[in-house]
Amino acid sequence: MTDDDSTRNAILAQVVRQIRATIDEDWLWDLAIGPTTRFNDDLEIESIEFLTITEAVQAHYGARIDIVGWLSDKTLQELIHLNVGDLVDRVATTLARR
Amino acid sequence: MARFLFTLLPLIGHLNPALAVAATLLERGHQVAWAVHTAEIGASLPEGAHVYTLASGPAAPASPPVRGLRSVQLFFEDYAFPLAERALPDLVAAVQDFRPDVMAVDCQMVAGAIAARRLGVPWGSLACTSAAILKAAPPVHAWIAAQHEALQRRCLPLPAATAPWPDLSPHRVVVFSIDALVGRRHERFDAPFAFVGPMQAVGRRPVAFPWDWLRADAPTLLVTLGTVSRDLETRFFEVVLEALAGMPAVQAVMVAPQRLAAQAPPNVLVQSFVPQPELLARVDGVVCHAGHNTVCEALLRGLPLVVSPIRDDQPVIARQVVDAGAGLFLRHGKATPAAAREAIERVLGSTALREGARRLAQQLQAAPGRAGAADALAALVA
Repeated sequence: MTDDDSTRNAILAQVVRQIRATIDEDWLWDLAIGPTTRFNDDLEIESIEFLTITEAVQAHYGARIDIVGWLSDKTLQELIHLNVGDLVDRVATTLARR
Repeated sequence: MARFLFTLLPLIGHLNPALAVAATLLERGHQVAWAVHTAEIGASLPEGAHVYTLASGPAAPASPPVRGLRSVQLFFEDYAFPLAERALPDLVAAVQDFRPDVMAVDCQMVAGAIAARRLGVPWGSLACTSAAILKAAPPVHAWIAAQHEALQRRCLPLPAATAPWPDLSPHRVVVFSIDALVGRRHERFDAPFAFVGPMQAVGRRPVAFPWDWLRADAPTLLVTLGTVSRDLETRFFEVVLEALAGMPAVQAVMVAPQRLAAQAPPNVLVQSFVPQPELLARVDGVVCHAGHNTVCEALLRGLPLVVSPIRDDQPVIARQVVDAGAGLFLRHGKATPAAAREAIERVLGSTALREGARRLAQQLQAAPGRAGAADALAALVA
């Protein structure tokens, strides 16, 4: 496993932790959440929940993650299909730019 | 006396509040005409109504059963915008023939705003859902705004005349909700709002209902997903039926396809149509899709809700209910019988939720209502 992979896995674990903390519902307890899990179709995420999750991720990794700036560049299509891996990528690429 | 022309999307949830406002204007001696898609909603207009027929647009956004953001995209892309472009010539002809003093335009009937501005008629917007006055997330907003601008460039003679989206009337925007329910979660657009509250039903046809079925002594629940989503999928209904099977002390009326009656426990009555206003006067709580009208009608009577939004504006309205302390959220496509049961028990048993709903009821009952809506439109007469 490369350093890059282990960083990514750590970020993924962090994102998944925030998702589970935000959506504490029975159907999610036994569901595996991975990079291909889509926020809209698979989690039926509410906009306020998505905000809570991304704010927590940003609080953990720092303001340069700039979730608001990242999202404002997205098209509606990209937003509809956004998955957990996209958020992990955003954090990973921002951290790699240090 | 003045002349008012109403135009709106051919959806019952948009027609019902407009009917109430129009009835009030007629009672005051004004003249009212309708520019609507009669193929879809003509049967629900009052007898003898003055009607202009608009060319039929695309079918209502009932299928495929999409959810969330994707449904918002389809609502505009496949429905509201094509419908506006198709209806505009007929609508302009109707305005030129009827020569209204004021147009009353459903916020989502985009052609109405374009016609009013093109012909220089004073107009008021009708916000049939309070989500129409709230700002969406930036990418969503940008996408809809771009579509709206393209439509106006095709339909208005001068580019200078294009208005930003949403095209809310600069004169008056009548909102069928109240300030306290709309809340502050989402930023509002800048427009001259008149919060008039929900409209009491007028001229709805009587619907038969087996009132004897209801016991006087049992906590009673109404379960409804509204007219658009009722027949699309039955998973949610089946989950709620299973939840209620374990709650024999509760009785429930479920507005669902009649075939579900076969799997309903004895404490659930399945009906494909119900007299909703009368039923709301009899129940103690509501499980619904957070449709704007159902939510406001339930809260008007101080009923706490389980809100399980599916599409369009419903997630926004559901959040308003939860934020106002009058209901609980149930994730529509993920609800389990255990989660549904817990939510139902809490909604029927929680003093805090009941009090939250009653607080809103007092404010909804104090809202200016259809008289206030009629006043707001009448004030636009030159």
